[in-house]
Amino acid sequence: MTSPEQHDSLDQLPEAVVDEGRKGLPIVWLLPIVALLVGGWLIYKTYSEKGPEIVISFKTAEGIEEGKTQVKLKDVKVGHVETVSFSPDLSEVLLTVSMVRDARPYLTDKTRFWVVRPRVGAGQVSGLGTLFSGAYIAMEPDNTGKQVNRFTGLERPPVITGGRKGTSYRLKASSVGSLAVGSPVYFRQIAVGEVTEYRLSDDHEYVELGIFIESPHDQYVRDATRFWNASGLDVSLNASGVTLEMESIVSLISGGIAFETPGERATMPRAEKDHMFTLFASRAQSREQPITDTTTFALAFSGTVRGLEVGAPVEFRGIRVGTVKAIELGPGAPGTGSLAPIVLVDFEPQRLQAYGTLKNSPQVLEDRKEMFSDPVARLHRQVKEEGLRARLQTGNLVTGKLFVDIDFYPDAPPPVLADNLGYPQIPTLPSSLQGLLEGIQQILDKLEKADLQQTLSNLNQLMVSTSNLMVVLEKDAPQLSDELHGTLLDTRKMLSEAAATLKTVNNAASPRGEIGNQLQDTLKEITAAARAIRVMTEYLERHPDALLKGKGIK
Amino acid sequence: MRARDIGLASCHTCGLLQQLPPSGHAHCPRCHSPVHLRTPNSTQLTWALVITAIIAYLPANLYPVMTVTSLGRSQSDTILSGVIYLLLHGDWPLALIVFVASVLVPLLKIVALLYLLLSVQRRSPLRKAQRSRLYRVVELVGRWSMVDIFVVALLAALVQAGALATIEPGVGAIAFTSVVILTMFAALSFDPRLIWDNEEAHGDIT
Repeated sequence: MTSPEQHDSLDQLPEAVVDEGRKGLPIVWLLPIVALLVGGWLIYKTYSEKGPEIVISFKTAEGIEEGKTQVKLKDVKVGHVETVSFSPDLSEVLLTVSMVRDARPYLTDKTRFWVVRPRVGAGQVSGLGTLFSGAYIAMEPDNTGKQVNRFTGLERPPVITGGRKGTSYRLKASSVGSLAVGSPVYFRQIAVGEVTEYRLSDDHEYVELGIFIESPHDQYVRDATRFWNASGLDVSLNASGVTLEMESIVSLISGGIAFETPGERATMPRAEKDHMFTLFASRAQSREQPITDTTTFALAFSGTVRGLEVGAPVEFRGIRVGTVKAIELGPGAPGTGSLAPIVLVDFEPQRLQAYGTLKNSPQVLEDRKEMFSDPVARLHRQVKEEGLRARLQTGNLVTGKLFVDIDFYPDAPPPVLADNLGYPQIPTLPSSLQGLLEGIQQILDKLEKADLQQTLSNLNQLMVSTSNLMVVLEKDAPQLSDELHGTLLDTRKMLSEAAATLKTVNNAASPRGEIGNQLQDTLKEITAAARAIRVMTEYLERHPDALLKGKGIK
Repeated sequence: MRARDIGLASCHTCGLLQQLPPSGHAHCPRCHSPVHLRTPNSTQLTWALVITAIIAYLPANLYPVMTVTSLGRSQSDTILSGVIYLLLHGDWPLALIVFVASVLVPLLKIVALLYLLLSVQRRSPLRKAQRSRLYRVVELVGRWSMVDIFVVALLAALVQAGALATIEPGVGAIAFTSVVILTMFAALSFDPRLIWDNEEAHGDIT
């Protein structure tokens, strides 16, 4: 073939090789179809993912931004706030929230929403992450309720959220004290739960607290578990010194609750959910046995009961066995006047914990049975046979508070009882102070009865003879004085001689004295000898052979 | 007089001038590359690409181009919302640039291509010189719309600081890229000689 440049005529141009023409639509039309498919899929995806719209009402929309604030479940976004508007009466803000489709089954009337903001309280700090990211709405789903699309948001985050396992209980307290929602609950000083709510009971008689104990610690809550308010410090002063109890610094500031189960009751069954417990004011109170079984006795005292109060303890050799129930005036025992203070005491056998922990011998069991079944008969026997008596004792020297002490006085005189007080009686003895006073009185009485006149005349005679003696002494006085003077002079002379001797000794021993000089010389020689020995040892160290060969000649 | 009128064409590869058969489908006898009088199926190809571009133009503007997550707060922006954001913050020169480069230019390109296609198919004799110039502008300006995509691509690659700040391209970015590329290809596949081909309907001007 020749090159085209050589052709001068158009006709001589080479012919292009003919191709078969392709028919039908060019393949390029696939492009718009694909684009349409992709676009359609996008639209479908957008609409299919679009979940339900719900409205949540809050008191305030602090930190919430339209179109930005997210709804999160376990920190995963499940929706976002579309618009923020007001309720018709302006009392609330209504957030229109667009949720993801998967959230639909969980949008029930039991599902809870709350706003997560940074919160700094005395006991805890939460939501710090939202300091930078802004507030978000947290959701706690619950698919057991019925489906709704209007929610009321919680103003504060709930203490218990879905994931936490545990059991909730209720506590009955006389006052809420420094406890607040979120206050910790301690078990052996470890925080195991929180206070979830508190409210007044329906009759406004007490405060009802809700607490939540986390699993597995909830298994230690038994029916007999005691709860007490562990807020602040518990300072007690007793014979062993000052005891200071505190659960933690947090409880000092924000209050707290502690619980424990008395040892011998730890085998009781686990408390059921929402079991109602009593919240005691202190640990000591919680340890006291609940008193249900009491027997009232009457004590008729002959002396004053000033310092005794209702509620004062009744003790048997220092162990509390009862409580003073009432103090009244009543008919006194024969011989103590027509009126006497009558003290009614409740004997509370349940306080005698010792019967619960000591080994139960048959005798103890028998005794215990009687104590509970027929305390009156037992008491009568003890009064008669063992001399059981009650007396007032000073419990506190500073405040002068009294308590009733019960003990056995086998030597006590037979009881003189007042008539018909309506209660079984325990005979009384005068109080120890009263007894002392009575003793003094008796001494005075005896003194009064003694022959004072005789004593006084005897005394007078004694005085006269003493006076005579003095006169004799006065006569001999000048002679005695002279002799004393001579003795003193001799003594002074002796002392000056002793001083001279000591001075001589001192001179001899001083560094410049004779002994001192000799000592110094000796020390110098010893120093020289020590130096020579050192030189020799150093030489030997370097030339051990010198021991055998002798020191070489330089 | 045009080469077409006398059935001549030069090879696109080796430049050999040759006579073409009336069917128009042929290949060069010297280098065997396909030789055509006009780009084959030029209008169809252009139509297909333009229609695809129109379809892609919708998601490109409706879907977010970029999702910025900064300190846990994430924000998705479409092209238009970005422009509005810039405007509200007083950056109107920047807003103008983005608007022109990313919204107006692709739209005008599509409109221009449609106009060229329609006018060619209707064998319109009007303003041929202007239409040729329009074509040249369209072809020239096409690639500049990619500025947005470059910005998104760069940011997405550079800003990956975990919780501090993360930028992710959105669906809109892909759609927008498709629009730009499709219009560029459409402009390429359009044979501007067609503008002048309908001369014959009104008699040759030699």
